[in-house]
Amino acid sequence: MNALVHAEGVSKWYGQVSGLNNVTVSIPPGITGLLGPNGAGKSTFMKLMTGQLKPSQGTIRVMDEPIWGNPAVFARIGFCPEQDAFYDRMTGLEWVTALVRLNGLNDADADAAAKRALDRVDLLDAAAKKIGAYSKGMRQRVKMAQALVHDPDLLILDEPLTGMDPLMRRKTIRLIKDWARAGKHIIVSSHILHEIESMTSNILLINNGRIVAEGNVHQIRDLIDTHPHTVYVRGQNPRALARKFLSEDDVLSMKFEKDAVVVETARPDSFYARLTELAASGEAGQIDEVQSPDDNLQAVFKYLVKQ
Amino acid sequence: MTATESTDGAEKAIKPMLHSFKRMSFFEASRRVFDLSLGEMLWSRRTIFMGLVVGGPVLLAVIVKLVETFGMSALRVNGQRVAGFGIFGVMIWMLFLRFIIPVLGVFYGTALMADEVEDKTITYLFTRPIPRGAVLVGKFLAYLACTFLVVLPSVMIVYFLLVPLSQLPGTFPSLLVDLGLIALGLAVYGGVFSFVGAFFKRPLVIGLIFAFGWEQVVLALPGYLKQFTIAYYLQALVPHAMPSDGVASLLQGMFRENPPAMVCLFWLFAYLGGFLYLATRVVEKKEYILEQ
Repeated sequence: MNALVHAEGVSKWYGQVSGLNNVTVSIPPGITGLLGPNGAGKSTFMKLMTGQLKPSQGTIRVMDEPIWGNPAVFARIGFCPEQDAFYDRMTGLEWVTALVRLNGLNDADADAAAKRALDRVDLLDAAAKKIGAYSKGMRQRVKMAQALVHDPDLLILDEPLTGMDPLMRRKTIRLIKDWARAGKHIIVSSHILHEIESMTSNILLINNGRIVAEGNVHQIRDLIDTHPHTVYVRGQNPRALARKFLSEDDVLSMKFEKDAVVVETARPDSFYARLTELAASGEAGQIDEVQSPDDNLQAVFKYLVKQ
Repeated sequence: MTATESTDGAEKAIKPMLHSFKRMSFFEASRRVFDLSLGEMLWSRRTIFMGLVVGGPVLLAVIVKLVETFGMSALRVNGQRVAGFGIFGVMIWMLFLRFIIPVLGVFYGTALMADEVEDKTITYLFTRPIPRGAVLVGKFLAYLACTFLVVLPSVMIVYFLLVPLSQLPGTFPSLLVDLGLIALGLAVYGGVFSFVGAFFKRPLVIGLIFAFGWEQVVLALPGYLKQFTIAYYLQALVPHAMPSDGVASLLQGMFRENPPAMVCLFWLFAYLGGFLYLATRVVEKKEYILEQ
């Protein structure tokens, strides 16, 4: 297989609005990160490569086969969408089992596969709980479970780390890397370079519906590091978190929001490492959610487009 | 961090799956979508609405029963007292076949795909190795099971409330025909409106116009247009004699045609099969753009 996904002159318009603009790209095997700010066209590209949308122009092939109107290819693809949408009345196990049955497994095998997938995302203990009662992080993980339950060759993950706490992020990143080590392929989108970079150095940069850059992005990484990076941390004790954050010099500024603290850092790497340790130790109470708004990334994209 | 999230960071080895995936037929895929959809549909808010709609005739039957218990007549046509099985027949035609069945067909049929799109859960079904048409057929079967489970028992309750014990043996075959007709009506209206739901942007409005505008007007007019309604064929299959108590029903009676039962059944099944096929074709070809 030369390319996992090959797009040739692909454009997608929503009426007068352009979602993707004349994109020609080949995504190689392994892990590829699709990086861009919100509204850049990442989700549109992912919907095109999962056959949910039909290109307005151009062609797109996935694993050497056309994807639009070709459901058989989905036997080899797992997709974790961005939207937080579920059958809330079902339990995690019921939902994942019902979905993998659509891949052709019989009842007993489907049940076993679903339990295995839930175990892989550390959700087996909550398998009998209704999805409606899951936390945001658990919902993200059950979405991951339904994507990998049928052991696909290609996993397509749209912002999979959104809403996860630092420990779960680390575990999910490890899961993705393990998946690649087992000979599988992953395309993962994010608006946070730090997240993508921890999984792969092969990155596609997308902005305003165009591929701005592709390949190894250490230079872009350096560029991004010159811009302050904003991190939103929601936890049980924001004041204790703030105290811990201020003890090192990687924090430029800080402000409080409801149950959260928003930090501006010049060194995201060291800050995230510290945050993970802090979550593991529990010294500053439980950390429930970590988010990174993409304002800083947007500035870098503006800079790149001007180049 | 939640209680279920482990902190040990232990890696879980990625092992190849040993299960065998079989390629499913269209109908097997539909059946599995049916399994997935039935519970969701049965416990939705729409079922409460359906319960209220079919609760109406039951309540009416209870009132009629009470009135008759006190020796009064609940319904008179041309001075003649109509009771028991006669009232049941009127309710089957006027309430169930002309109102409840089209209403349920419109509200459920047009929402088969729309609900999944609105809830953004359609992605999970469309990224599985099954034809998109099987998703629609599976959900249509879930609609049938769901409406049969609620509507048919209510018809039976109305029957047992209204028909005196002495008349049960003689009228029971007619009840079976009524149940069959209602099931067929639900299927045909559901099939037609599943196409409307898949094809049009404002399916509910179009569905309501068809059921309560087009069908009602065309049935009252002479000519061939009534053949393009579902009610025309269902009406011809109703085993009960309809009471005529006014000018409108007199005129209707003059224009009323009763095509043979086999012709009615043929056209009803043709409507069902034709529209369901068209609906699956639309779903196969259509892009569903979820709101961000």
